[in-house]
Parts: sequence; structure tokens; C-alpha cells
Amino acid sequence: MNDLSRRNFIASTGIGLAGLAAGGALLSPRQAQAVSLPLKTLTKVQALTLGALGEALVPGALEAGIIQYIDKQLGEPNTLLMLKYLGVDTSAMPGFYHSALDSARSLSNRLFKKSPEALTADEALAWAENIAASTDKEWQGPPAGFFFFVIRADACDVVFGSSAGSEALNIPYMAHIAPTTSW
Amino acid sequence: MKPLASNPQYDCVVVGSGASGSIIAAKLAEAGQSVLILEAGPSRDLKDLISSQLWARQLKWSGSAVEEEGNHKIGHGFNAGFGAGGSALHHYGVWPRLHSNDFDILSKHGKNIDWPISYETLRPYYDEVQADVGISGDAKAEIWRPKGEPYPMPPLPVFAQGQVISQGFSAMGLTTAPIPLAINSVPYKGNPSCVYDGWCDAGCPIGALKNPLVTHLKQAILAGAEIRYDAQVTRVLTDKTRQDIASGVEYVDRDGHTQRVRAGRVVVAAFTVQTVRILLNSVRANGVALGNQFDNLGRYLTTHAGRTVFGLFSDQTDPHLGPTGGQLICHDHYDDKTAIKDSFGSYQWLIANAVKPNGLLGYANSRPDIFGSKLQPFMAKAAKHLGNMLYVGEDRSVRENRIMLSDKTDKFGIPVARTVHNAGPEQDAQMAFAMAEGEAIFRAGGATEVWTGPRAPIHIMGGAVMGSKEQTSVTDDLGLVHGTDNLYVVGPSVFPTSGAVNPTFTVSALAYRTAEHLIKTG
Repeated sequence: MNDLSRRNFIASTGIGLAGLAAGGALLSPRQAQAVSLPLKTLTKVQALTLGALGEALVPGALEAGIIQYIDKQLGEPNTLLMLKYLGVDTSAMPGFYHSALDSARSLSNRLFKKSPEALTADEALAWAENIAASTDKEWQGPPAGFFFFVIRADACDVVFGSSAGSEALNIPYMAHIAPTTSW
Repeated sequence: MKPLASNPQYDCVVVGSGASGSIIAAKLAEAGQSVLILEAGPSRDLKDLISSQLWARQLKWSGSAVEEEGNHKIGHGFNAGFGAGGSALHHYGVWPRLHSNDFDILSKHGKNIDWPISYETLRPYYDEVQADVGISGDAKAEIWRPKGEPYPMPPLPVFAQGQVISQGFSAMGLTTAPIPLAINSVPYKGNPSCVYDGWCDAGCPIGALKNPLVTHLKQAILAGAEIRYDAQVTRVLTDKTRQDIASGVEYVDRDGHTQRVRAGRVVVAAFTVQTVRILLNSVRANGVALGNQFDNLGRYLTTHAGRTVFGLFSDQTDPHLGPTGGQLICHDHYDDKTAIKDSFGSYQWLIANAVKPNGLLGYANSRPDIFGSKLQPFMAKAAKHLGNMLYVGEDRSVRENRIMLSDKTDKFGIPVARTVHNAGPEQDAQMAFAMAEGEAIFRAGGATEVWTGPRAPIHIMGGAVMGSKEQTSVTDDLGLVHGTDNLYVVGPSVFPTSGAVNPTFTVSALAYRTAEHLIKTG
């Protein structure tokens, strides 16, 4: 789990802390992460799994707010999630994430007898590779490899899909109309 | 105009506010007709076109679900728009013309189906559209270009990415030319020139890329056309005594109430899948849907095969600069549809597309095999040294690829659309040839690493195809639905075959021709 202990990881997700629900729509991913909005569509356990997988795939995704991004967008009628482009109807999206995150957590427990947020960096990498390979026979929900692609894309959205993400790559964002929030 | 239906509220009701619907509405309203546009999605303004790969997704289809099957699904969620301007609001402005050999494939090759018109029929409308809307390009450099007036604007500049990749084409003995783009290289008719920031996919809020908000939808409203948003048309209504006459449409408004509007003519311009869905749901007293008396409605569904070649070059390419649709084009493989062994059809290269880090077309997702600590070094290099180009391959037109109604219904109780689309072995062979060629081009241009993305569906056409015979088509060459006197279809759904070029220019030329007919006979 990189250099995060389980306690630090849970703290960094912000799960369980009181948040600013009313003002959430105006917050950037980093701001939302900082104030730790309460979850709307994911369970706490699913959020922990999502944070661990997102961070394993795209370092920085956790701090950039992948949990809050997906949790919020799963409740939006006109969602910003890339899954919209991939043939999954909006009404089926919560089930897509919920079932796959539950399967991913189960896989982690079976592979390492640890929850995802407790994995070491090497274990998290092996866990992600296993999901990408779609070899888990007990996997429930969307195909594991497809889910891997989607979560990785979501993580890239929150890490690279903003002016801050462009700056980190040393390229100009050049917005005609800059978004007031990244998502 | 003398309306055919009794007691019409409007001379014409247009279903959809995208490229073709906006043209019909603008032309008819300017000719003095009363026009109502019903748009399924929300109102949009230029200020809504936010520069973000995430926010751009709000422009895409968010209406009733579309079920997709087959080995080459049509990608409705990516290709279809939603709201003012329809799909043309997010389109990339790549506007090549179909070639002469796209119109008579059945006659010449015994495959697919023929168009009921030739290139020469459509040519003056292409010329008229390009003068009205404005296209930047270099007609002489397009050595393959069919006859037509030169472009009204010079081409857009070629940036480092295009320059680098063009060296590979030259080394392979292939030709490139600036892409003909419906994007201003210089100020044109009140709209400014492009600033080359690569946000075309999110919609162009300055109007340099010609979307309906700055062209025909704007013209339609200025000319007096009325538009109602969040109005989901469910079916076309027919006259009580004469079922060959459309009397109007039924729609569900934003409050969920069913409404009816009467019109002298009905023009369905709801993009490919929803146009067919509406017609399939418009069943006459004899149990047959409008336009489906010979079981042709929904058939000959096509989508282009798109596949991107990516490469890392030692030269700096600055891939964030330029238009999303690309900087250069190659049609060297267009005019001989039988040149490649075991293959059939044309294809084009769209070269040096501006690309963002994230999103479905972004370079991060081009390499899903790279993650964890290896991702950042890849992203940093790609941000400066990536090159990419898009293969666009012609589809086959077969009856088995089709749009139907599902057993499932939407929230209004209307059956949702179900699509089946499979690519055939000839398409597979062409794409394999093109991918090998693409890699060779990139290597010749100095790429140190080359990879390709998956096959993706781009553009959706067919389903209500035009033809000269009622037995093998849904509409005539003007879009008039067979068996009706006043029901028309415009948009890519009337394409009998896909060709291998981006469809919006052809959609617009066909709509100009239909509008001319509607005014003359009005």
C-alpha cells in the first residue's frame, strides 16, 4: 500500500468523517478529498476497496478524489463517468461498481488474507494484475479485465483530467471555458 | 405551403436539432414556413461547452438506453449527442466528401447496396454547404478529391506532430494533405479562427468549429422557428382517414406529460438509432410501422471501424496542439475498393489528432498495460513525444446489421432500441492491412515504439436507407418515407453505405437537397 499504513490509508480516504454535503458540488476533487464528503452510493467498504485499487493503478488517485468522484457521479442522471461511453446504461452503473468492488475485495482476501487497504505495494500490484488478467473464477459482476480498464480510466480522469493534471505533465491546459470543478 | 394534414399547428415539425434537423428548420423558416423543432435533450448554450474531457461527456447521449450486440457494437453512448445541436455539437469538424465510387457499389462490385443518386447529384450541395458554413483546406493538395469548388479558407497550420508523422508517409511513398475541416483558419462569417487548443470534443464555444449553435440552429431560431427541449418524440401520428399522411407527432414533455402536435409535414432527424426507433414505434392500423412495409426499416446499419496507431518519437511532437480531428489526411487507399487481398472497401487515415492525457481517446488509456509506478514516466514522455493517427474503414451494408425494438421499455413505457452489428472478414482483413501499414509509417517517421488501440465504432449510419426501389429501401432519394406523402427522414440514417469518410458534410449536403425540395413543393 505504498507508504501508507492501514490506519493512514483509512484516514486519507476520509471515510467516516463528517463532511460538507451541501457544498460538495462546488468542490474540486482535492478539496472534496480534504473535507471528506459523506458517501452517497458506495458503502464504506466499497470505498476503501476503490481507493486502494485506484491508488495502485494510478498513484495520486486517492488524493485526487477518486472515491468522491465515483460516489457522486453514480448518483447523477447525466453522469460524467467514462463508463457512459462503454455501453453501460446509467441505471446499471451502481451495480457495475458495487459488484466488481465486492469481488475485488474478496479476491484480495483470498490472495493475501488481507483487505485491499492493508496490502503492501507489491501485493497491491499483484492484486491489480490478477484483476486485469480476469482469471478469478469466483469473480462476480462485470468482467474483471473490463472493470480494471474502467477503474484505471477513472483514476486517470481524476489525476490527469484537470489543469493541475496538465501542469504536472508540463503541458498547458488551454481552456476556452475552464471548469469550475474538475467533476 | 398547402398542408396535407388537417388543421396543422405548424407547416413542419422537425424531430431533432442536430446538423440535419437544424438545416431543415433554418431553410424552411427562412422560406416563411412555420416550424417547430422537438429536441429530446436539454437546451445548451456556448457557455456550456466546458473545456474538459469529463464535462464533455454531458454532451453525449443520456436518453433511453440502447441495447447493443455483435462483434462490432455501434458505440451509441460515445457517438450520439443529446441536446441542442445533437451529435454535431461535439463532432470534430472533419469534412471530406464521399467519392464517386461510394455511390454505386452494388452495380460495380455486386456487394452492399447502391445509392439512388450519384456524386454529381450531390456535388452542388456540397459546394453550397461549404460556402455557407466554411471549410478550411487545400483542394489541390487532396489529389484524390472529387470535383468541387475550392475551399473558402486556407488550411489550418500543421504542427510538430503532423510534420513528424508526414515524414513517415513520404518515406512510404504515400500522400498527405491538410484535412478539410469545418474549422476556421481565418475569421469567417462572424466567427473567429481556431486557437488550436484541442478541445473540439468538448464543443467549441468560440464557434471556430462549426456546430449548429453557431450555424443552422442559430439561423433557424433567428428566422422564427420554435424549439422545445426535453421533448422526447415517441411516434409519428397519421391521419385518421389516410394513413399515408403524417398528421404530426406525439412526444413526452419535460414534466412527463404526453403531448401531440399537428403539422403539415414531419421531418425525423433524430440521429440514426432514435430515428429508426421512432418510426418502428409508429405503427399504422394494419400493424406495420411507417416505412417498414418491406421489412427494410432498421436494416443496413453501419458504423465505421476506427482504430488508432500510437507511437513515441524522439522528436518533440506536442500532441496537445491542433484540432482533435487531426491535421493531415490520406486517401491513397480510397479509390480502389478491391486493392487489398481478402478485403473490400475504402479507408482513410486522419493524422496527428490533438490528444489529451485522459479520456477514452487519451494516451493514458491507450496503454492499459502500464500502471502503478511505471505510469508517470510513460505519461511524461507521451505528453511531449506522442504521435497518433486514426484509421477509418468502410463498413459493409448487410441486412443482418440492424436496429430493432427491445422487449424492454424506457421510463415512458416506450420500447428501447436494440442494435445488432457485426463486422465481416473483409473488414477484418482491411484493418489488419492498415494496422501493419500504420506501424510501418510510424517506424519510417522515426517512432521508437508503436502500438495500436482496439477497434472502435465511429459514426452510426443506415437503418432508414434511401433507395430507388420501395422493395429495398425506406425512403426515396429526398428522404420521403415510402408509402407516405409527407413524412421525411434526414441525417445519417438514410445512408445506404458508409463510405470511409466522416459523415457530417454529406449529412448536411443531403439536408440542403431535401430542404430545397420541401421549399419548392411547399
